[in-house]
Amino acid sequence: MQDHIQIDHKDINRDLLSGVLGTPSWWLGAVVFLTLVFLAGIGAFGYMLNKGIGVTGLNRPIMWGFFMTNFVFWIGISHAGIMISAILRLTQAEWRRPITRAAEVMTVFSLMAALMAAPLVHVGRPWRAALWVFPYDFARGVWPNIRSPFIWDPSAVMTYLTASSLFVFVALLPDLAVIRDRATGKWAPKIYSALCMGWRGTPRQWKLQALAGILLSALVLPVFVSVHSIVSWDFAVNIGVEGWHSTIFAPYFIIGAIHSGVSAVAMLMAVMVWLWKLDKYIRPDHFDAIGRLLIVVATTWFFFFFLEWVFALYTLEGPELALRELQVFQWPYIFLFILFLMTAYFIPVPLWLFKKVRRSIPLMFFTTVLVNVGMWLERFLIIIPGMARKTPLTFDWGTYHPSLVEILMVASTFAWVALGMLLFSKVFPLIPIFDIKEGMVFRDEVKIGRRTIPASIRE
Amino acid sequence: MASESAAQPGKLALDTPVGVIRDLLGKYQKTGDAYWRAVALFGVLFALGIIGFIMRLSDGVSDKAVWGYYAAMFAFILTTAQAAPMVAIATRLTKAHWRRPISRAAELWTIVGLFNLILFIPLLWVLPSLEDGRRSLWFFGNVDDIPIYSPHIWATLALVFLVIAGLMMLWVSCLPDLATIRDNSSGWRQRWAKRLAFQWRGTSAQWNMQHHRLGILGAFYFMMLVFVHFLISVDFLMALVPGWIDALFPATHAANALQAGAATMLLTLFFLRQFGGYKDYITLDQMWLLGKILFALSLLWFWFWFSSFIILWYGKRPNEQAVLELLMIGPYLPVFMAAFILNFLVPLFTMIWNPLRKSLWGPPLIATSVIIGTFFDRIRLYVATYTVPGIGDPAVDKHGALAMDAITKANLPDLADIFIIVGVIGGSILVFLLATRIIPSVSIWEQRELLLYKVHKPFHRTEVMVLGKRD
Amino acid sequence: MNQRSLLGLFTDEDTAADALDALQAEGYGTKEYEVLTGTPYPEGTFGEAEPIHKLFRWPLIGAACGFIIGLILTTGTQIAYPLVTGGKPILGIPPMAIIMYEGTMLGAILFTVVGIIFESRLPRLFMGAYDTRITEGYIGVAVTTDEERLGKAEEVLRRVGAEDITRG
Repeated sequence: MQDHIQIDHKDINRDLLSGVLGTPSWWLGAVVFLTLVFLAGIGAFGYMLNKGIGVTGLNRPIMWGFFMTNFVFWIGISHAGIMISAILRLTQAEWRRPITRAAEVMTVFSLMAALMAAPLVHVGRPWRAALWVFPYDFARGVWPNIRSPFIWDPSAVMTYLTASSLFVFVALLPDLAVIRDRATGKWAPKIYSALCMGWRGTPRQWKLQALAGILLSALVLPVFVSVHSIVSWDFAVNIGVEGWHSTIFAPYFIIGAIHSGVSAVAMLMAVMVWLWKLDKYIRPDHFDAIGRLLIVVATTWFFFFFLEWVFALYTLEGPELALRELQVFQWPYIFLFILFLMTAYFIPVPLWLFKKVRRSIPLMFFTTVLVNVGMWLERFLIIIPGMARKTPLTFDWGTYHPSLVEILMVASTFAWVALGMLLFSKVFPLIPIFDIKEGMVFRDEVKIGRRTIPASIRE
Repeated sequence: MASESAAQPGKLALDTPVGVIRDLLGKYQKTGDAYWRAVALFGVLFALGIIGFIMRLSDGVSDKAVWGYYAAMFAFILTTAQAAPMVAIATRLTKAHWRRPISRAAELWTIVGLFNLILFIPLLWVLPSLEDGRRSLWFFGNVDDIPIYSPHIWATLALVFLVIAGLMMLWVSCLPDLATIRDNSSGWRQRWAKRLAFQWRGTSAQWNMQHHRLGILGAFYFMMLVFVHFLISVDFLMALVPGWIDALFPATHAANALQAGAATMLLTLFFLRQFGGYKDYITLDQMWLLGKILFALSLLWFWFWFSSFIILWYGKRPNEQAVLELLMIGPYLPVFMAAFILNFLVPLFTMIWNPLRKSLWGPPLIATSVIIGTFFDRIRLYVATYTVPGIGDPAVDKHGALAMDAITKANLPDLADIFIIVGVIGGSILVFLLATRIIPSVSIWEQRELLLYKVHKPFHRTEVMVLGKRD
Repeated sequence: MNQRSLLGLFTDEDTAADALDALQAEGYGTKEYEVLTGTPYPEGTFGEAEPIHKLFRWPLIGAACGFIIGLILTTGTQIAYPLVTGGKPILGIPPMAIIMYEGTMLGAILFTVVGIIFESRLPRLFMGAYDTRITEGYIGVAVTTDEERLGKAEEVLRRVGAEDITRG
């Protein structure tokens, strides 16, 4: 970080608690709108429960469509929090400070959206889903089959959800104390006081906060790797569908998740600057840093994408080649494929190579939105064409058209995440207050001749 | 720490530029008896390797099964020595100051890359041409039209570019130090330093050029390294086993290299500290931080292995079961278990203990485990693969897969193989040792630069270190 | 125990550190006074001793518990309903390893969080003397001791230069 600010603690508290102690003018309208979209999705789900899966576009052979794509997409977005929070914490990157909490909270809500997007809805009888996942024989001595990736999935996703939520809570403790000290009214001070459990800010408590950050980061990172690996194995262990049985799926999905997740965080940063007027805390330097990270992540992702294609074609097997031909040369997939490549890599990355683009908030918002459009399409292009060419008998090849029910339910997951973030911002600060204050305490300068270089204190 | 050694009487003040330069030049210029004993030892081992190679040559190049150990040793050096410079490149990219004492030693391993390029040449005769119909990376749409020596040509080009990038990176990094040597020594050192220093005077323009070129060359080296691992792991390994389709394998091979490279550097640092006299520069910081990186890469080793394994295990396809049998659970099971334990279990269960991870001897010990594990891993992969019968053999259908009964018992090393193993390791270390005579093992200009950015100052009732960040 | 507490507020770090020194000179034990800040400082900034903790035991115990539960769950469920799927063994190590791994990590994380809260000496029911200005940048020196010794402590803090003194 080349420019840094020294702000009075009172001002920091006031700025960062403005959303909690007061309400921005646009907040209520946004919440109402998002709630309506979310309810529309719930309504569509209710309709589907009543009428059956036939109201969707799913049919033999394409049994997985929008729901599964959406599920993988949200699992991908959920990897943003840990990437920004844990990895940047462990590598002692100072620029993570304003964005860790927003990223972690987005993780928590994205995981819930993922659960809403697939496991709980797209199975034929969702009310029975818990029964075959939960390790108890609810009926006739039938226990879960642990050899199935669909049992690995819940164990991983629930572990990750629990871990992320606890991570958010532990890091929230000092800020809960700040709100406790500022809140007015009958119930608010009592609730915050109970939540922060009597935090006072002793050296012991601060030391354990620092250790908590590092230890929990180190523990959650392996979980984060395992979650998306397991989700990718939902597809990859399957030998029936062409284009799926590839060993590269685990790292490919993870790096894709990091790509879309970090892009989502960059989008979130832009939104925070525009809506909550937090431009003092989230500055062009932060966008520059995240842009440079994105170049590395995107290029690594592209390398894995390239590897996947090389080995798809390496065997020169007929069924695989038929699938790839569909994916790349036949309508409508040809259009989606080109759109995916342009939006996920070939438009954003060359733009990000320019410092001016990286430091421009509107351009970063625009390019990262493109990335997420591209990455949603990437999951679509892995799942649907593969299933369309699933069987060796060509008369069983199919097509897929999403119905309104699926579109509404997908939209509701986006509304859910946005709604969750807005509600969170009303109750807790989106930018970690103590992290910003800590950054200022640990800032210093080194004088070399006529130059003054920004520096940080290392204990 | 620099301040501690400055406090000792009789020691040059290591927190002044002149002190640092004089100290490091002094270490570089004198070579003790222990050094020459080491050179003699590794020279003897290298000579044994040459004998082994000649013995192997007498068997001819047509049967690749007997060249398995040779190929494994080439891959071993590719994985360890040629990946060691990544420690310097990655840390320079992240502008981490702790890399300063170790970056030169990492870059010096690129000279061993030149040695490995020479080792590679016989493999060009050992590897069959594409006429046997096996799959290859170079399919170009129409299988019949590809030149039959495509793998050989492309791999050679890639390896040559890798070595050139490495040597250029080493040279650009050395320029300021060569100028220091030119100005402060005499005899043959002064003559060579003058030739190589290319009129380095230390102007702003030269420093800027050097900074940019190092960045570009480092990035280029990394890309070439990944590309070389891609080509070697596919055309010189995977393609030789019909039915072995592992899209992750090039990445696994490269990730193994990153782990082994970090391990090679840890071991190098241990020896530089203990025997090179660099105790004031290579401190706990370097061991601990590189040790953490080694731990993370060991976890990565497991993740990449398991990602391949679960796919191959789950589907129960015959070709995949044959590959698992050949490489992991069949005749090479003991070798695989050794690699698994040394590359993953040992680092995992030891590096979670703070007293071991944050010590001067712990990380190098674990690095030794990882290097031995990598050795067994390369043996397992290359020896097993090279013993698979050629594609024209009736036991192997070129369109199908390896048959289970084509997997015979493990190929144990004969005397020539043992000589080759010993000789390649000895030769690599010999080349590295000789290189340290010409090029200082700790970068003088980077240590000098650190003094600009590092300040110790009091902070209320305690003392802290303040580290500046470069632009 | 007739423990009461007292809080002195200071505006800068050096005066607060002087206050801690003065309290120690007057014979107050390290368990009787502590410094409260609204932001973390480098260790030893106020001359205080390094806090000793046993946090690293918690993840190990949690991991062991999680591992055992994962093992029992995976073996138990498969022996209870042995259905061969896809030719894979009933007690196949790769799938068991995945679920046992998740159990281990979940156990480690849960116990770590409990450990962090416990080692931070939370929840703290007796807040004692506290001032909301601490989270605005003031530094608090809190003295928790018997009623008799509190008067002397107040005198010491005022002498060093406390902005304000609150009782709790």
